[in-house]
Amino acid sequence: MNITLVAPSVSLLLLALNVGSSSTAYAQANSQARPQPAPASRPSRSFQVGGYAVVGKFTFKSSESFDAILGITSAPVVGGGARVGLPFGGLFVDAGAWRLRRDGERVFVWNNTVYPLNIPVEVTMTTVALSAGWQFHLRRVPKLLPYVAGGFTSMNYVETSDFSTPAEDVSDTFGGYHLCGGVEYRILGWLGAAAEATWTTVPDALGGGGVSKAFSEDNLGGTSVRFKITVGR
Amino acid sequence: MGRMRAAAVVLLAVSTITAHGQLRSDAVTKAVIQDVGLPAIDRGLRDQDPPRDARTQHNISHARAEDALPYLRGSIIVKFKDERAAATAQVAGDIVERSSWADFDIVDIPVGLEPEAAAAAMRLRPDVEYAQPRYLNHAMARPNDTLYANQWNFPAIDMERAWDIQPGASSNIVVAVLDSGMAFRSVTVRYDSLFSFRLTPTGQVYPALGRGILVPFAAAPELGASGSDRFVSPRDFIWNDDLPLDLDGHGTHVAGTIGQLTNNNSGTAGMAYNVRLMPVKVIQGLWDEVFGSPFEGTDDVVARGVRYAADNGAKVINLSIGRESGGPAAVVTDAIRYAVGRGCFVVAASGNSRTEGNPANRLALAAPDIDGFVAVGAVGRTLDVAFYSTSGSFVELSAPGGDQRQGGTSAGILQQTLDLDVLETYRRPVSQYRPPRADAFAYEYFQGTSMAVPHVSGFAALLMQQGLTNPAAIEAAMKQYATDRGATGRDDFHGFGLISPRATLRGLGLAR
Repeated sequence: MNITLVAPSVSLLLLALNVGSSSTAYAQANSQARPQPAPASRPSRSFQVGGYAVVGKFTFKSSESFDAILGITSAPVVGGGARVGLPFGGLFVDAGAWRLRRDGERVFVWNNTVYPLNIPVEVTMTTVALSAGWQFHLRRVPKLLPYVAGGFTSMNYVETSDFSTPAEDVSDTFGGYHLCGGVEYRILGWLGAAAEATWTTVPDALGGGGVSKAFSEDNLGGTSVRFKITVGR
Repeated sequence: MGRMRAAAVVLLAVSTITAHGQLRSDAVTKAVIQDVGLPAIDRGLRDQDPPRDARTQHNISHARAEDALPYLRGSIIVKFKDERAAATAQVAGDIVERSSWADFDIVDIPVGLEPEAAAAAMRLRPDVEYAQPRYLNHAMARPNDTLYANQWNFPAIDMERAWDIQPGASSNIVVAVLDSGMAFRSVTVRYDSLFSFRLTPTGQVYPALGRGILVPFAAAPELGASGSDRFVSPRDFIWNDDLPLDLDGHGTHVAGTIGQLTNNNSGTAGMAYNVRLMPVKVIQGLWDEVFGSPFEGTDDVVARGVRYAADNGAKVINLSIGRESGGPAAVVTDAIRYAVGRGCFVVAASGNSRTEGNPANRLALAAPDIDGFVAVGAVGRTLDVAFYSTSGSFVELSAPGGDQRQGGTSAGILQQTLDLDVLETYRRPVSQYRPPRADAFAYEYFQGTSMAVPHVSGFAALLMQQGLTNPAAIEAAMKQYATDRGATGRDDFHGFGLISPRATLRGLGLAR
């Protein structure tokens, strides 16, 4: 995915929110003329608070740079957050955080060949994501709750190496955006499991030095697949 | 000072020697008489400057840091949350008396108890804020060699922090020194001196010394013990044997900058002090000529030496040699291509004749065309180009070579080599002319691009040990991280700049 898609994607999200809202109202109108189905997954008419824990796999957009230093193009992430359902149909806001930490080694790159230099380096990425989204309530499958969301990402990037002075290490925070979509399955009224995919862009965070400059990569974002355990309503 | 410079460039100046009776006997006149020799004689530092204060040694014994645990046994550091409770805390050991400046306690533990484990156990206690072993700290890897303070050249290129990253490479790396030989063996050799000669057309005539001249040799104490595996695959292409003994001092000095024994509380330090050295003699000194060596340092002999080094395990080839007249050295260039193709990094001097018309060292001219082969110019103590350092488009890097016009004798490069007082007896009046001794050593300041080259060779050895094994990649890394000097960007005096071992060894992180 490319950063130029951000604006249209946000528009699509807003469109999706409207569409989702209309179809939910239609379902409610129909439901008055028929026998009542199971009461689960009605759109909220009040504030609903829940929390979640998340594990997943984050695939770096700057894959050559991460592969050179960490030997991987994706890494596991763990995190958690809270979601507040608002009393406006399926609208919710979400505040989540996840963290990724990996060890690697410093390298020299020449002619696209990477030469590891046996100097340990540790990379830690801590991300805070603030989202707004819409949760769809399917009448036929009331326990299955698809959702889409988008919002702002703040990513703290820390890189420390052996034999480095504090000035040579890196600790910076960068801003970006994300979009995500997923589906939640309500196992119980208060317990659910969800799977979601997220696209994150954090431009202009890399590329000023190191291998990211050598590979002309500047984005700390990427895509991730995550699994959540949710509690609360 | 003039004598020192002359010593450094004597090999390039042999063409000024007027030899009488150039006809040589077909019989080689070199024979080993005794395969052992008396211990080397150390005649100390030859420094004409007033003595300077030695630099304070902050570092602890290297052996201690390497061989012992990284912490003290028998006690740990503990900080109790409640200061008053500290005095009465029930701990496994006793609390020794607290210093007035400390807000923590040193708690004795049994010597047999692992401090890490003891500290971990203490940290579990609710009344303990922190507990840790008494880790030993040390300064940067500043060598403890007694004359290290006189070696301005290493701090000038940030070697102390570079050695933190890569301390001296290892014996897996072999550096071939193609030069006038090396003081690597204690042996007594018999030569014949059958010809008279004079050093200048109008100079005094030094007579033949006769047959059966015994010359004692010793391994330079700061290079390694005679017969040790510090020296590998020695080869002499001037005498065509396996005994490349140094009768000049140049090769031994160069070898010292590459691999002088370091952190041994003695003498001077070297760049890559753990490598093994391959002595390959491809040029002759004046004594070799006097004794009638069967070969001289022609291009074909140098080329043979380069191929020999590449075929016998050398990873770096040091060429502190050259010529500044005649046409291109195609045969040497071919040999260098062969060596680079076999994984060798090759370093050559740019030349010492900038003030004499600036003719390039012909052996170095091909450097820009071969990735993995670099031509090196010299800088002085001020890190400006040295007055003698030949410039040109072929110069790719610069390194300390000394500039005694700016700073006197001690502005040269200091290393242990043969004591020139007892070696170069041909510099004395004829009445005092006698056979040389090659078993006495002194610390001599030399200057020249010959002295700059071994800095780069040693640097290459460190990079190879660190994991950068491709010669072309080594050259690219050296250039990329070189510190720009002189005109912005590449210039004909410094090339891409002064070598920067520490920055190069660190390489790249992800973002910086």
